[in-house]
Amino acid sequence: MATTRGPRYSPAPPTAPYGSPGTYQPDVYPDDSVGTWNGEEQSAVGYQPQRQTEPERTRRSRLDEWMDRDFKFGGSHIKRKAVALILLGAPAVLPLFFMAPAFFTMNEPTFAGSVDDTLGTGAELCLFICLLITPMVTLTGQRWFVPLRRWYGILFACSGFGDMLAAGLTDNFAGGFFGRVAGHVFELMGFMMVMLAIPLLITGNHWAQRKLGKYWKRLQRLTYVIWGLLFFHLALLEGLGFQNGTTHNGSGNPGDGDPIFHQRLYQYAACSLFLLTLRLPPIKRWIAARQAEGRNWLVWVTIAPIFALFIFGMIFAVNEEIFKGFNSFMEHPSAE
Amino acid sequence: MSETYADYGEEQGTFGGVLLVAISILSGILVLAGLLYAAGTSARHKTALAVNNCEPSMSPSGIPCNTQQMVIGEYNGIVNPASKLLAADMAAYNVNEGHHLAAAEAALSSEVATEQALDNSLAAVAYTPQNYGNAITLITLAFDAGTNTPGAAILLTPQATAIANVAVRDNQALAKLTAQQARSTSLIQLRSFNTRVEADTVAVQAEMKLIGKTLTAPITAAQEP
Repeated sequence: MATTRGPRYSPAPPTAPYGSPGTYQPDVYPDDSVGTWNGEEQSAVGYQPQRQTEPERTRRSRLDEWMDRDFKFGGSHIKRKAVALILLGAPAVLPLFFMAPAFFTMNEPTFAGSVDDTLGTGAELCLFICLLITPMVTLTGQRWFVPLRRWYGILFACSGFGDMLAAGLTDNFAGGFFGRVAGHVFELMGFMMVMLAIPLLITGNHWAQRKLGKYWKRLQRLTYVIWGLLFFHLALLEGLGFQNGTTHNGSGNPGDGDPIFHQRLYQYAACSLFLLTLRLPPIKRWIAARQAEGRNWLVWVTIAPIFALFIFGMIFAVNEEIFKGFNSFMEHPSAE
Repeated sequence: MSETYADYGEEQGTFGGVLLVAISILSGILVLAGLLYAAGTSARHKTALAVNNCEPSMSPSGIPCNTQQMVIGEYNGIVNPASKLLAADMAAYNVNEGHHLAAAEAALSSEVATEQALDNSLAAVAYTPQNYGNAITLITLAFDAGTNTPGAAILLTPQATAIANVAVRDNQALAKLTAQQARSTSLIQLRSFNTRVEADTVAVQAEMKLIGKTLTAPITAAQEP
């Protein structure tokens, strides 16, 4: 009976139950085919009425509802979701925060020494978190954290742009500003990423969403191109991960006994496997079917090793960001 | 296979399940491999620390100084000030050797002190038998693994160590000869040492230059054991 097999967190739409032959809908999880940083947000004026269907509204988890409630603080009412989003979104500004002292004092050695590590790694982390939102919606059925996608997307673009600007001004490569930002193939990849991020940044608002209509979503799919270009950027930056052997491979010359873990390309691969897997339509169908059966635990158990690998990759990227970022903040750039 | 069966498989996402399990197993293997690799972190870290006499407290995350630039900087930090002092002492000696015995002997005594300090610094910092052994271990491990020689070993190759050992020995001999010269009782006796001292000085300078060149040059296959 359908009533006894209902999903625990996200009841199936009564008119189109999960898994019925031929009824799979790519948008059964809104925007599930795209990892854009803005796609799942509703505009203030209720744009995209096709998403405001009744089943859509009823597919809200209990946590979503809890997050939507207000609480009283200092005489004013604040949404729980707002506090949670601020706390979860705050780390996105850390890369720019780390570079702020060097920027305000125009400390060129710090820019030349570590801006690419601090802002580059920061941009990479922002992109991963931006891309993480859709898989988390798929897994949890919750949507309260969806606005983080836009926020991390914007900060990805800002950090990437800052990285490119600083590299163009302070790197030692020949060829003037353009030669320094696009003179090598790996730099060209990074340059293209930033160039593609600019239209996404400009259109990452409700006004642009309304004006562009159906083309907005297509435009936002450029995020996937950026994601792919990041692979080539990192692969060419560090010789596909093995140009320096196993002892000195990785991010600079860490010397802490974990050179493999510091290799950016490996971090990228570890993180991307999870992000990619949860976007594959057959896997999403399987997950939807298990959730419809009320066996979400099976989804979590199956996905756990992939998620562990994702965490493995993220830990070392975050470690790199904090270490290099702290050195940048103190204006003693790391020599690694 | 009937269409109904195929539809059922599609409904249940069977292919997706198989794919997910395969990716999950691969991920599990990679995580386990990572954990096993992480188990050797401590030993690798200790080796890295030992190679360049680094202290774990040198950076916030405990990452040691293990870069070519830092060791070259360390070497230059020893040699450059000593070179300047020696140049000043030698200039003072050249001015006084013809007419002022006491001043010339003072300049020579200062030279001796500088040369001995240089010997002690070089011997203590980089070119110890332990570092020599570490360099050989790193090179051998890299050679056995078929990987490139690590930067830490490049800085302490047997060749560089051998040159440094010769330089330290020759500098000790020069310091001894300069000390003898400083004990001269007349200007004529003082100047009689000049030829031998100059020859030894040229040899030591050439060896120092060779060390600097060896440190900055990348290792070649011929240097590997």
